[in-house]
Amino acid sequence: MALRRTMLYLPGNNPNMLIRGHLFKPDGVILDLEDSVALSEKDAARILVREVLKNIDFGGCEVTVRINGLDTPFWKKDLEEVIPCGIDGIRVPKVETPKDIELLDEAISEIESKNNIPEGKIQITCLLETALGIWNAYHIATASKRVTAICPGGEDLRADLKTSRSETSEELVGPRRMVVLAAHAAKVDPLDTVFSDITDDEGLRRETEWIKQIGFQGKSVIHPNQIPIIHDVFTPTEKEIAQAKKIVQAAKEAAEKGLGAVSVDGKMVDKPVVKRAEYTLQKAGLLEGGE
Amino acid sequence: MKTAQAGTLESMDCLVTASEAEKGKGIFITMEGSNIARFRDSILKTAKTTLQEMGIKDVILSIQYNGANDIVLKARVEAAAKALIGGDN
Repeated sequence: MALRRTMLYLPGNNPNMLIRGHLFKPDGVILDLEDSVALSEKDAARILVREVLKNIDFGGCEVTVRINGLDTPFWKKDLEEVIPCGIDGIRVPKVETPKDIELLDEAISEIESKNNIPEGKIQITCLLETALGIWNAYHIATASKRVTAICPGGEDLRADLKTSRSETSEELVGPRRMVVLAAHAAKVDPLDTVFSDITDDEGLRRETEWIKQIGFQGKSVIHPNQIPIIHDVFTPTEKEIAQAKKIVQAAKEAAEKGLGAVSVDGKMVDKPVVKRAEYTLQKAGLLEGGE
Repeated sequence: MKTAQAGTLESMDCLVTASEAEKGKGIFITMEGSNIARFRDSILKTAKTTLQEMGIKDVILSIQYNGANDIVLKARVEAAAKALIGGDN
């Protein structure tokens, strides 16, 4: 499981952020060719993002590019420029149906093949920014093996729901829960939308605690100052770490003895629990990332 | 005269303006900005190499420099030149 507690958006036409963003140590960076780039700057941003991808070492960050929507004339050019540059994945906006993902999958496969990139290497994160996208979340998440995460939208989703932002984001409770349910059913990561008030640290902490509790694995980020707060919330407690260590140790000992079953504190634990314990240690920085 | 621009005047960026030049006039580059004297040679080299790689022989470039590194400079020159010659076809 890749750590995706924080995925930091970097505006695609802003050299300062593109080059320095990863230094704030998010789990991932999203080089953005979509909403943060003016229509007249699309070509310039695409070239800049390509050059940054080719020349900057992003350290341990997962590197994804948010392309323009499949209903625009830009998305294919976006893919052609960025896929050969060694990225981990594509973040695609406004996905509404599994057909969108089939179309994208096919285009990515073609570019992978042309550039001698192993087929299936490029992952897809889907942004579900309409009611239809949320409704189809499970089918979208299972439309291709490339899909590794799905995220609910924020402002676009509110607009499609014919509502507006409230202080508690009550209007997004249902969609967020649907995304979590669909993602876990499809065995992909549910990642939350951004918290747009970059001065409200308390609000960000409150929202992050809530989304973690309902099952999200991380959150998109629009300002570096938000990263430590989200990491803090997603970092396991001492009690969780101690329990996870016990489980991982017990699983190791059972494997060494050739035993299939693992017992901790007199209770049997199965494989998913061991996996979860390893993930807990990984989130605490005590174990290297796995798959 | 047809012109095209790419970039900004923000920190770590540059604003590149490309203008059409008559055939056979070659590449002509002007520069201004902070610390320009120190980086002039390097900027010139990057800009010329980028244009040559694109097969562009005649163009006038004006570079307003504000701390762009080679990566950014190359991207901005390419974007301005592509916009001048009519997109990236």
